[in-house]
Amino acid sequence: MSTPTAPADLDSGTDREFEELREILVGPERAALREVRARLDARLAAHDVAAVLPEAIAERGGDSRLVRALTPSVEEALLASARRDPRPLADALFPVLGPAIRNAITHALSALVESTGRVVEQSVSWRAIGWRLTAWRTGQPYAEVALLHTLLYQVEQVFLIHRETGLLLHHLTAPNTPGQSPDTVSAMLTAIRDFVSDSFGGTAEDAVDVLRVGNRTIFVEQGPLALLAAVVRGPAPPELRAAFQDALDTVHLQKMEALDRFDGDAAPFVSVRPVLEQCLRAQHHERAVARRGRRWLAALALLALAGSLWWGVSAWQRAQRDRLYLAALRAEPGLVVVSASRSGGRFVVGGLRDPLAVDPASLAAAAGMAAGEVEGRWTLYQALDPAIVLLRARGALAPPSGVSLTLRDGTLVAEGPADAAWIERAAQSAPLLAGVARFDPAPAAEAEGARLARAIEDRVVRFQRGTTLLIPGQDEVMRGWERDLAALDRVAAVTGRRRQVVITGHADSDGSPEANLPLSRLRAEFVRTRLLPGALAAIDVAIEGVGSAAPAVRGGTDADKARNRRVTLRVGPPAPAGPAR
Amino acid sequence: MISKKVCLLGGFAVGKTSLVARFVHGVFSEKYLTTIGVKIDKRSMTVDDDELDLVIWDIYGEDDYQRVRMSYLRGASGLLLVADGTRRDTLEVARALRLTARDHLGTIPSVLLVNKVDLRAAWEIGPEDLDVLREQGWRVFETSAKTGDGVEGAFAALARLLHEAR
Repeated sequence: MSTPTAPADLDSGTDREFEELREILVGPERAALREVRARLDARLAAHDVAAVLPEAIAERGGDSRLVRALTPSVEEALLASARRDPRPLADALFPVLGPAIRNAITHALSALVESTGRVVEQSVSWRAIGWRLTAWRTGQPYAEVALLHTLLYQVEQVFLIHRETGLLLHHLTAPNTPGQSPDTVSAMLTAIRDFVSDSFGGTAEDAVDVLRVGNRTIFVEQGPLALLAAVVRGPAPPELRAAFQDALDTVHLQKMEALDRFDGDAAPFVSVRPVLEQCLRAQHHERAVARRGRRWLAALALLALAGSLWWGVSAWQRAQRDRLYLAALRAEPGLVVVSASRSGGRFVVGGLRDPLAVDPASLAAAAGMAAGEVEGRWTLYQALDPAIVLLRARGALAPPSGVSLTLRDGTLVAEGPADAAWIERAAQSAPLLAGVARFDPAPAAEAEGARLARAIEDRVVRFQRGTTLLIPGQDEVMRGWERDLAALDRVAAVTGRRRQVVITGHADSDGSPEANLPLSRLRAEFVRTRLLPGALAAIDVAIEGVGSAAPAVRGGTDADKARNRRVTLRVGPPAPAGPAR
Repeated sequence: MISKKVCLLGGFAVGKTSLVARFVHGVFSEKYLTTIGVKIDKRSMTVDDDELDLVIWDIYGEDDYQRVRMSYLRGASGLLLVADGTRRDTLEVARALRLTARDHLGTIPSVLLVNKVDLRAAWEIGPEDLDVLREQGWRVFETSAKTGDGVEGAFAALARLLHEAR
C-alpha cells in the first residue's frame, strides 16, 4: 500500500488542510498500518534473535549478568513445572538424588545400628561372647555380626522388570533355589501391583512394594522405568532394601536410554547382571562369612584334633623316651639321678656322677633321644657302687696281667699270680680307695707262691762225681733259685704265711750208702750256703741228704749217674697265717 | 530374544481362556482371572528364525460392558480380540474394546478371533460382517477353542505383525 503524495506547489496552509483531510479519510487505516509494521518488525527481530541466541549465550557463557537475568525465569519455570506435574522433574533428578539420599539414610541407620550394637555388646551372654569372638575373628563390627546371626535370610530371586510393559529384563536365581517361569511371574507381579493400585487407589508411586508369602517376602523397588523385585526367604534386614534400590539406581544410570526405548529385546540388559548379582552376592557374601566361619571352625577343630592327637602321640613317645633314658641312667653305676624334667623341648636331667661312670649323654641315643634333646646337669662324686669301686681300684692299682680284682663286702680281693712288689704296693694303696675297706692279696700271693714254688722245684743243679763241686754251667740255675726264693720270701711276708723250703742233696748209685749219704747232705749244704748266705724273713730252710735213695732216673749209665748227682729244692705249703717274722 | 506383551480381550464367555489354554501350557490357575482379573501365560514363537516370546495377559471382562482394568493394557504391544460367532453382540464388544485400547495405547497390531467355528451353523455373524471388518483393516480369524482350528494361525499372525512392527 502506497501513501498519497502532496503536490510540490501547495503552500503550508494547503499542506495542513490536506493533512487534516488525510487524517479524516485514512487516519484509522494509517494507525493500523503503523501497528502492523511495528508487529512485523518485532517478529523479524525475534526471528533474528532466535538465529543468534545460542551463539550469543555461548559467547556470554561466563557473564554472570546473563545468569542473574535468567535465574528468576528458570526458577519460575521449574516451579511452574513442578506445580503442574512433579513427575518429569522427579524422573530427571531420580538417578542423581536417589543414591545420594539413600546413602545418607544408610549411613544414619548404620550409626544407629552401631550404637544399638554397643548397647547389645554390654549384655554378656554366651551368644554375645560367641558373636564377639566371631567379630574379632572376621574383623566385622560386632553389631554386624549380631545382626547377621539374628537375621537369617536368603535372596532367592531377583527380577528386573520393565515398568511399562511388565516384561522381564533380567532374572537371577540363587543357587539351589527354584525359579519357574520368570517371564510370567514378572508380568503377574506387575499385574498384582496394578490390581492393588486400581483397587485401593493411590498414585503409581504408592504401588505395592512388599508382598509376604509364608516366610518369603517379595520386595518391589520402583524406579522411573524399571522395577526390581527380589524374593527373600527369612526376615530381611532393612539394609537389604537399600542394596536393591542401589542396584536399581545403577541399572537406571547405566541403561536409561535402553529402558526408555525398550521394545521387548532384553539383550541390552544382560550386562547389568553383575549389578543384580550384588543383590544375591551381598547376601551370599554374608552367608559365606558364616559358612566360611563354620568351615574355618571345623578346619580349626580338625586341626586341633589332629594337633592334639599328634601332640598326644609325640608326648607319649617323649614320655617313653624319657622313661627309657631314666631307666638306663638309673641302671648305670656311678650315676644318681636327682631331678628330671622337660623344659623347652629338652629333657633336663640332674644328679651326681662318678667320673668313672659312663657318660650319660652316650645313653641318650639308645633311648631314642635326638641329639641335643638331653641336657645333663651333673655334680661329680665318688660312687661306692662295687663296679665303680673296682674300676677305681683297677685304675689306681694297675694290676699286672693275669691278676683280677673283685670286691666282696668291701674287701678288694686280688686273684691270679702277682709279683710281690705289686702286692706290697697294692696292699698299701688299696685301703685308701673310696669303697675299699680292706685289701686281700692272699689269693694272688698264694698263686704267686705256687708259681714260684713250681719254678723253684723244677730246677736242679748237678755235681761232679764224688764231690760237692758243681759241674760247669750251673750258675744260671743258682741265680734263678736266688731270685725266686727272694720273691717267695716277700710273698710269704706279705701274706703273713711262712713257707718252708727243703734243700735236698742226692748222690749217684756209685759208692756206698755210708759215703753217699754225707756227700748228698754236703751237696745240700753247699747249695744253701751259696743261695742263702743270710736268713730269709719268711722262709724256713731245711737241708737234707738222701744219698742215692731218691734217684732222678733209674739206670746205671754214666749219664744216668750224672743226672742223679744233684740238689733239688722242695717248697712246702704256706703255714697258717701268723705274724711275719 | 524379544518379548512382547499381548492383551487378550473379549466379551463375556467368548472362550478367551480356552483359546489360551489351547495355545500355551499355563503355569497359573484360572482362578487368578476372577480374583485379580488377569491371567498371564507365555508362549515362545519363531518368526523368520527370530525367537519371539508372547507374554499373554488374558484380561477378564466382568460383563459385556467390559469394565476392563485399563492399567492391565499398559505397555501392550499387541491385541488379541475375541468374539463369539454365535453372539453378534460380542463383535460389538470387540469393536468397542479395540477403540478403548486405541485410546490408551494408540494403534498397535491386533487380530480378531471369531471363536466357536465348530458351531458355525449357529453363527449369528455372517461372512459379510467379517468382510466389512476386513475392509476396515481388521485381521480376522475364525477359530475354535474346542478343536483348535485357526488358533495357531491367529497367534502366528499377531506374532508376525509384532515382528514386522519392530
